Amino acid sequence: MIELKNTTKYFRIGFFGIKKNAVENLSLTVEAGKVTGFFGPNGAGKSTTIKMIVGLVHPSNGIIKINGYDSMDYKARLNLGYLPENPSFPRGLKGIEIISYYSKLLNKKIDKNEIYDALKLAGIFYAKDIHAHKYSKGMTQRLALAISILGDPEILIFDEPLSGLDPIGRKEFKDIIFKLKERRKTIFFSSHVLADSKELCDKIAVLVNGRLIKNEGITAIEKEAEGYTEAKLNSSKNHERTPDTTKPEQDKDYRLIAEYNTPLEVYLYDLMRKNKKN
Amino acid sequence: MKKILYSTMYSFKEIKNSKIFYSFLIFALILISGSYFVSQTSFISQGRIMVDFSIFAITIFNIFIGIFIGSSIVYDDIEKKSIFLSITRPVKRTEYLIGRFLGLTAAIIFSTVIMMLIFYFVLLIMHKYVIPLKPFAGQPTIYSLPQPLIIQALFIIIESVFIAAVALLFSLITSKALASIFTILVFFIGNVSSKMNDLVRPVKKIIGGKIVIVHQANHALTNIVHIIYAILPNFSIFNISSEAAYKIFISAGTVFYRIVYGLSYMVLLFIISSLIFTRKDIS
Repeated sequence: MIELKNTTKYFRIGFFGIKKNAVENLSLTVEAGKVTGFFGPNGAGKSTTIKMIVGLVHPSNGIIKINGYDSMDYKARLNLGYLPENPSFPRGLKGIEIISYYSKLLNKKIDKNEIYDALKLAGIFYAKDIHAHKYSKGMTQRLALAISILGDPEILIFDEPLSGLDPIGRKEFKDIIFKLKERRKTIFFSSHVLADSKELCDKIAVLVNGRLIKNEGITAIEKEAEGYTEAKLNSSKNHERTPDTTKPEQDKDYRLIAEYNTPLEVYLYDLMRKNKKN
Repeated sequence: MKKILYSTMYSFKEIKNSKIFYSFLIFALILISGSYFVSQTSFISQGRIMVDFSIFAITIFNIFIGIFIGSSIVYDDIEKKSIFLSITRPVKRTEYLIGRFLGLTAAIIFSTVIMMLIFYFVLLIMHKYVIPLKPFAGQPTIYSLPQPLIIQALFIIIESVFIAAVALLFSLITSKALASIFTILVFFIGNVSSKMNDLVRPVKKIIGGKIVIVHQANHALTNIVHIIYAILPNFSIFNISSEAAYKIFISAGTVFYRIVYGLSYMVLLFIISSLIFTRKDIS
């Protein structure tokens, strides 16, 4: 289980080192065995939050605990797998050499078969003997995924796992997440793609401008979204037409609803838009 | 401990496969092999010219490896984000840093050994500066390098690793380019500081049975030079190329003192680097 209590992270910017909050007083609990989606627009503070959880960035204030250990303590990462956004590997080393090295950094003994299983699950087994700098973006992402699931960790944290992947890659990656979900792993992933929300998540957290504006179960949030979209559609129908918007199709809300596939997407989009400072 | 060992091996492999390492190694090997042609420009002391030239090439290229790879070994890892997967494993940051540094140390030792081997073969072909050894009667003669040359190789390793520790420290607080520039400056000042310190000392003469100061440099300048000399490492003690060229035996005490001097500085620099790295936000 991951617990964040009143976590704040500020960075000092400019010549005078003016404080700028990236994450503000964030309290969040990622429940064990569930998939939690962490949504928000670009620059909302999702990656910073994830980096604080995995111990890359020190929180300025507040507490972050993973299975009872402080996030900066290496013991917090004993049962944790992390897939960073846009991972990369050094030149001149083969996929198998890289994953073998990472397997030795774990506190468990990992045999060859376990390494092969992780590579097979991530769909990169076929390229294990190719130098990693020759990999495509999707292949690099898969190798990083194989590394993150190595040793069968209980908690998996994925930072924008689907970004930059083609539709086939996205589908395959989602399937892997489904498989991990079936194994009752605690998965916490960030995304700004709203379409990922419904099919993958048990719980949704929305972060805008470093502040948590929503943190609920998928059923509750879906119900809320349906009511919200319905109200929006009705208002769109009853909207007084101007010469510019003579048909409902020309109305802003109507277009928004038509653009997204589900009421949940419309609701999340509007939630982010309304809370985002320009 | 095992994690440090694996990290060292991985870093060594990574450096060994890097283009910059190969480029320096190949350049040095060309220069060492070319020392023969340089020595042909002189009618006398051809061996000494070869030794001087080759020791210079081995030193400078190992120093380059120390500066440029030292300033990029952790910096590039952070920039390219490949560090994200390493330190999010159950590994302490200090373990990671020790592993990276020892990997670089191994690469410097590896390059020095390769360069010295080529140098040895060049000397062997020329039949200069090699000492014939006959361990047992009736057995073939083995040729060895003279003691000062072997000690010089050891000092080159210590000096280059020392420089790498300086570069690593700078790379944690500034950019890669600035870290390289600062390290070059430290190396340059460290090489001339003892000479500068000698220069600002008062010139004394015995006139009429009394010691008289005939020249005294500006006090402020003298103090600055003394402070620089006291704080910055003195790299010139690792340069024994003249002793090597004249085959002057280096005593065990001198070797021991200089190794301890280098290692103490390195440990101090590494502790500072480690403290900075543990507190650093990696984003």
